[in-house]
Amino acid sequence: MKNEGKKENEQGKELDETEISQKKGEKQLFEVDRRSVYRCVQCGTCRSVCPVFDVVGWESANTRGRMLIIKSLLEGMHPSEDVLPSLASCTTCGICASRCPAGVNPPEVVEAARTQLVKCGITTDAQEKLKSAVMTYGNSFGETTDRKQWLSEEELSKLPQKSDYVYFVGCLDSYRYPESAKKAFGVLRRFGVTLLPDEQCCASPLLRTGFKEEAEEVMERNLEQIRKIGAHTVITSCAGCYTTFKNNYPEELKVISLPEFLAEHLEELNLKKLDLTVTYHDPCHLGRHNKVYDAPRKVIQAICTLKEMKNIKENALCCGGGGGVRRGYPDVSLELARNRLKDVPEGVDYIVTSCPLCVRNLSDAGGNIEVIDIVELVAMAME
Amino acid sequence: MDITTELRKIVGERLSVSPSELYCYSSDASQVKGMPDYVVRPKSTDEVSRIVRLAYENNIPVTARGAGTGLAGGAVPVGGGIVLDMSSMNRILEIDIDNIQVMVEPGIIQDALNNALKPYGFFFPPNPGSSAMCTIGGMIGYNASGMRCVKYGTTRNYVRDLEVVLADGTVIHTGSKMLKSAAGYDLTQLIVGSEGTLGIVTKASLKIVPLPKTRKLVIASFENAEIAGQAVVKTFSNGVIPSACEILDRVSLQVLKRYDPNLVLPSEGDVILFEVDGTESSAREAAEQIMKVCAPLALSIRLAESEKEMADIWAARKLVGAAVSRLDPTKSRIYVGEDVGVPIKQIPELLKRAQEIAEKFNLPAMKYGHIGDGNLHLALFIDVLNKDEWDRLNRAADLIHRTAIELGGTVSSEHGIGAARAEYMKTQWGPALEVMRAIKRVLDPKGILNPGKLGL
Repeated sequence: MKNEGKKENEQGKELDETEISQKKGEKQLFEVDRRSVYRCVQCGTCRSVCPVFDVVGWESANTRGRMLIIKSLLEGMHPSEDVLPSLASCTTCGICASRCPAGVNPPEVVEAARTQLVKCGITTDAQEKLKSAVMTYGNSFGETTDRKQWLSEEELSKLPQKSDYVYFVGCLDSYRYPESAKKAFGVLRRFGVTLLPDEQCCASPLLRTGFKEEAEEVMERNLEQIRKIGAHTVITSCAGCYTTFKNNYPEELKVISLPEFLAEHLEELNLKKLDLTVTYHDPCHLGRHNKVYDAPRKVIQAICTLKEMKNIKENALCCGGGGGVRRGYPDVSLELARNRLKDVPEGVDYIVTSCPLCVRNLSDAGGNIEVIDIVELVAMAME
Repeated sequence: MDITTELRKIVGERLSVSPSELYCYSSDASQVKGMPDYVVRPKSTDEVSRIVRLAYENNIPVTARGAGTGLAGGAVPVGGGIVLDMSSMNRILEIDIDNIQVMVEPGIIQDALNNALKPYGFFFPPNPGSSAMCTIGGMIGYNASGMRCVKYGTTRNYVRDLEVVLADGTVIHTGSKMLKSAAGYDLTQLIVGSEGTLGIVTKASLKIVPLPKTRKLVIASFENAEIAGQAVVKTFSNGVIPSACEILDRVSLQVLKRYDPNLVLPSEGDVILFEVDGTESSAREAAEQIMKVCAPLALSIRLAESEKEMADIWAARKLVGAAVSRLDPTKSRIYVGEDVGVPIKQIPELLKRAQEIAEKFNLPAMKYGHIGDGNLHLALFIDVLNKDEWDRLNRAADLIHRTAIELGGTVSSEHGIGAARAEYMKTQWGPALEVMRAIKRVLDPKGILNPGKLGL
């Protein structure tokens, strides 16, 4: 934690330095599921696949190191800022979980540990800024403008008040890729899909970085609106929003990713064939975490030629953007993206993906092939 | 002298004294613990030499570490001091096909080396279960081997030359590119398996061998381990040398199926996996011969149907040791007493005694290993939150070690002694241990290189 002097507690009440240090001193505050931690036998399988370790090189920057540090905290090591470079630098990509012989799910453990660190008042500046932006402005960028600027007044006025389906746009598409949002909604509205009147961040950035209680508050703000609309299904175009709705929101809510929706309605979309060859990047939180592998490929193959990357599906490398790493450790994050770009095959016109965060991070890594969201490809095929 | 400042002059930012970082270097996959005072990640022989010289001049322990996948605490700095994380020295310096060898830095990962050799049609045969993460330096330090030892031998058989930084920082070479040499003591073989107690390996020239054209896998199940052992002995005596010969007991099979539910493995008995390699015709002939020899003893016997099936079985087998908690999430596999070896003929006896020991201490056990070379991996698992189970575990492991020695075997076949098995060196070696101690005193008079290991 960078001690700026004042911090907010779970209720939004400001704590002074004394209170913070008292909280820090309460070692018993640090508690995660011990069984999950002790299942790790330190074999190092995760070390061979952790993309962050590949860039950083220190043991603390791989999954086994993180599990060890969490174990040490459980066994009484005083939680301090010293653990942050390790525990805050995990993208939660989950490739370690897919390989762990003992069946440990390290991203879950890391997120639980981050929650405990937050309770102990130990956070990075980037975490705090992210939390503050989401809690104050309802979006992860701290944007003060309207989330639906990409929608005309007329379209806005025609939004159905009631619907079975809600398109949850997400912060990135709302503010950074409004054209994608527009195109996605352009397709979805034909099917009677509506938008939330006052969409808030899905809470993914809060959950991934340990602000569990704050996340619940934000999730409730969205849930309230979903209930009012009467929707039973949420459609997302961001992998982060998808996994959050799918795994953190109440179970009765059905969640579909945009590529799944598109794949289901291919015939109705009348897509034309394009003379293009593209590759597909599996977003970790759509692919490995939720096993959505086939739908985006089905959509792409309905439009053009798909040439796969070197590592795909379960083995796909992370773009480096997730888990708060893009904000907290931008250099590391971009290095991960550059490593991912090495998997791109020769002779492709676009790198297609299904997550705006992946689009952003892979684009920022400076490759010479344009990275686009799958909805952009669909829009080209609808022109 | 401020050691931190001096180390920083040598490696810059590749030094850490952060408590969290140090903690990550305080263990490997064993139960041995020891906090270092400094961790450095050198990138060249010169840096290693300067670090070791600094340590020598200031009497600071130096422990070399690869990927930290060891199972005996070999890379754990039990005496504190400096940990040399060698994993940044991971280049392949030369692939010399004409001389059938490769020169590497010690931090290269075994699988990465073999991936690089594959296009040339060659490979480096020793393949531990940890081949996806372990380093060649660690393999040299502990004379690692793995499943193909039965035909291809251990790491020792492949090392031609080593560049070694001695305790005072002097850099020597122990061999050459020559296939043979009759000039003096074989220092290469002295360093292999010395667990970083005599010097730090900074380069290695390794013999490589042509990749076999094909591999075939025979999967046979037997009513009990003793009969399985007889089948192995019969196979060898019929002149077939498999490229791997692995035993998996009933519990191991259950774990494998949990790890990969798609695997088709026998549902009863103890299983032997016989792998043969060579040309299509020689491998087929060998596989058929194994099936013929084993059929009268086996409950079931079949040939793996495809390369994919074979690859899936081996991939699961490689990780079976760490996967026991898939059977019972409250139990963890603890690596103690896990690497004993006995002469091949004694394997059935060892299997029997191991089972008796596990039962005596009321500990669930999984038995698997390289039956073809007499190496049994006994996996005992406990609830790590239960103190009584820890106590029973340690007593069982002690008995396993003593049993192996009694049967004319070794307390470690391929994982090393480290600190975990140091206490058995005297029993296993008797006066020969004094010779090892004498060598250690000459090469490391101040005792700074990986102290507390090998029972020295």
